This record gives sequence, structure tokens and C-alpha cells, in this order.
Amino acid sequence: MPHRGCVMTALALDESPPLHAPLRFFATAPIWGAAAGVLTSLRAERVTASRWTPEAFAVVHVLALGFMLQVMAGALLQLLPVAVGSAVPRVRLLARVSHAGLNAGTLLLVAAFLGAGPGWFAAAGAVLLATLAAYVGAVGLCLARARAIGPTLPALRLAVLALGVTVALGVTLALGLGLGWPVPIVELVHLHAAWGVLGFGLCLVLGVAYLVVPMFQLTPAYPVPVARALPLTVFAGLGLWSVGVPLGVEPVAFAGAAVLAAATVAFVAQTLLLLASSKRRIRDTTAWYWRLGLCCLLLAAASASWLHVGCPPQLRAPLEYATGVFVLAGAFPALICGMLYKIVPFLVWLHLSRRGPGAPLMHQVIGEPGPRVQLVTHAAAVIALAAGAASPLLAAFGGALFAASKVLLGLNLVVAISVYRSDHRPAGPAAPARC
Amino acid sequence: MMPPDPMRRTLAALTSLPDGEELTLLLYREPFPLYALLDREGYVHATELERDGTYRIRIRLGR
Repeated sequence: MPHRGCVMTALALDESPPLHAPLRFFATAPIWGAAAGVLTSLRAERVTASRWTPEAFAVVHVLALGFMLQVMAGALLQLLPVAVGSAVPRVRLLARVSHAGLNAGTLLLVAAFLGAGPGWFAAAGAVLLATLAAYVGAVGLCLARARAIGPTLPALRLAVLALGVTVALGVTLALGLGLGWPVPIVELVHLHAAWGVLGFGLCLVLGVAYLVVPMFQLTPAYPVPVARALPLTVFAGLGLWSVGVPLGVEPVAFAGAAVLAAATVAFVAQTLLLLASSKRRIRDTTAWYWRLGLCCLLLAAASASWLHVGCPPQLRAPLEYATGVFVLAGAFPALICGMLYKIVPFLVWLHLSRRGPGAPLMHQVIGEPGPRVQLVTHAAAVIALAAGAASPLLAAFGGALFAASKVLLGLNLVVAISVYRSDHRPAGPAAPARC
Repeated sequence: MMPPDPMRRTLAALTSLPDGEELTLLLYREPFPLYALLDREGYVHATELERDGTYRIRIRLGR
């Protein structure tokens, strides 16, 4: 029988992982982001020449593994208990192992692309396979056990399934290059990229957006039929595209690309509508990160569609480069920053409030000016990088701006961590205690 | 409302919930942290998801 009148004023932290579990990923990601900018700046001629140069592959994987997957992997460990009511098993151990393995594997892979030798591909493949198989297994088990009724759970399940497919394809490529296996590289690269960006990245953004856009931007919820249909539509499009492209069946590939573009446009339109109806009275920088990321997604959908419909051969390489910029430098980093600037202050507040009254409020943890300066720098970087399709000099400038933007992100996160560390009240049970 | 206001308001409302009465929440997400507290304190809850994305959560004292 509950004790009435003095029931519960505590916040449930029992299911939450310790703060260091997600923060170690969040704190490392800006370093890789800055490295991607510096590498682009130093090798702009080669990065912009074609998506198939080793330098372009290196930059793509610094961004995709070092920055994007880094943040997404950390965020999932933190979000799953809140989002779907299921905790990741052995989360402390998993956080340590997957963080170390992801960073070691990324270093090995980037070194391999930059000419360290075929053995480095094999080593990278082995490290990333072991790390990400453990991660996908643990998170997949957590999602399989979850009983949430909303649209976030199926979107996250599809995202993690797609991550498994992406890893399998990527590791096959790495081991193939490292050990000299006869693998169809071009076809596998197409599939690997599509499953990583759309299957994992986009489906994860969908599932997380269903949770964090209403929660942090104070908007209405995503309509359930739309929210349920979008990840399924992405998977349907991806399925068609995955059959059509490797087999060279152009109408099937075109149908897949059209379905994927339609799903992307629908998600962007729905989210922009929701943001327009936000009940927030105060302008919030994170909403602008969302808008920037969504606009980049639209541009990526438009340029990818053009690649499938009548793109002149001489424009193919610059358009592929621009699509990559919109997706990997524009959309995902902006959406990730928009989420980080809410999630990290929320976590700091949550863990400090456990020590009793006196915790700083969420908006006091990082403040507004830092994220705003980073937003402007990031937007300028995306414009300059996209213009780099016409001039490597602009790409080099964009790379420098991108690096600066990620340094600013890192500094803003350091501010949040220092707020947490400067609170010397002893950590205790959820306060105040129950009667 | 931003987190944690929905949970705080819910907990405050539960302290004054008369016996036999039910508290209904309308939220834009399924409140798993709240579920954990309710389960621990002996409350029972039932959740429905409406087409517009609203979660309707009914809470009452368990017997």
C-alpha cells in the first residue's frame, strides 16, 4: 500500500546509465569532427575530385564512424531506458568496450585509407566487427525486450537492424581489401553507404525525433500513422534500391530512390510543421539546428534524386560530392548538435538534482551564446563545403570552418562537464527520500 | 512542459488523489521513468496511444 501524501518526488534514475557512459562518446566526437575538417582542408583537391578517392573515403569514415556513430552509439545507451523502457544489459562495460573499439577501429581504418597498407584494413575490419557486433547484439537484445507501444520502438529496431547490415557489408569490404578476397567492391560500397546513411542514420533520426522534438521543442506529437509509416517506407525504398543498383535494373533502382526521397521529404515537412507550431515562447538555438539539418536533408534528397534522373556525366562527380556534404557534413551533424545541446544539459541537471536542491537549471548548463556561435560557424562551413564542388579552395575553407565548428562544440560540452564536476555535493540517493 | 515538469506535476497530483479516483495524463511520450516510480509505489497504470500521438495514461491506487 503506498504512503499517501508524501509519495514520490524523486526522479527515477535507477534505469539510467552513469553519466560517464554516454559522455565519453559525446566528448570524443568533436575531436573526430574537427579531424574531418582538417583532413578536408589539407586534401581538398582529392576529397572533392571523386567520392572514390582514398582521401574522400577517409573523410567520410572519420565523419561517419568517428563523429556520427560515436554520438549515436552513446546517445542510444542513454535514451533507450527513457525512450522504450528497456535498459541496455551490462551498459557500463558495453560503453567502455564499444567506445575503445570504435575509436581504435576508426583510427585503423582511416590510416588504411590514407595509405598505411592492406593489413590495416584487415585489422580495422576485425576490431570494428568485434566492437559493433557486441554493440548491436546488446542494443538489439534491449530493443527486443522492450514493450513500448509508440512509433519510436519500431523505428529504432529497424535502425539497429540496418546498423548490423551496414557493419556486415563494411567489414566484408575491409577484410576483402585487407586479405585480398575477391569482393565486388563497387556494389558493396553502394549498399554499405545506403544502409548506413538511410537504414541506420535516417531511421535512428526518425525514432529519436519522435521522442525529442515534442519533448524538448514543445511541439505536438508526430501523427501516429505518419510516424509508423516513415521507417517502413525507408526500408521499402532501401530494399528496392538494394536490388536495383547492384543488379543494374534501372527502373527498380529509380523506384527505390523515389520512395526514399519521398520518405525524406515527408519527414522533413512533418518536422518543420511541428517546429512551426512549437509552444516555446523563447527562441531556442537547438530548433535552428533542427531546421538547418532538415534543409540539408532536403537538399541531399534533391541532389541524390538528380543523380538518378538525367544528371549529365560531367556533373556526376561534383553532385555526388555535394550530396555527401549535405548528408554527412550538413544534415546529421546539425541534427546531432541540436540533440546534444538538449540531452547533455538534461543529463547534467538530472544527475546533479539527485544530490538535492541547488542543481543548475537546464538552460544554465551551457547557455545560449556558445551553441549560437557554433550554429553560425557550422552553417557557413556547409555552404563553403558545398561550394567546394566548384572549387577545391572553397572546400578547403569549408573544411577549416567545419573543424572550427566542432572545436566550438567540444568547448561547449566541456562547459557542461565542468558544471557537473564543479558541484561538490556528495552523490546520494534520489532526493528527497520517500516517506 | 519541459522535463521534468510533467513528472513533478503528476507526482504532486497523485499525493492529493482521493481514494477510488483515477488520474489521467495526456502526454506526447510514454513516461517510462514515471512507470518505474508508480510500480514501486503500488500504483497501477494503463496506457493508450491515440492517432494524434497523444498517450493517455490512467493511474490509480493498486489494491
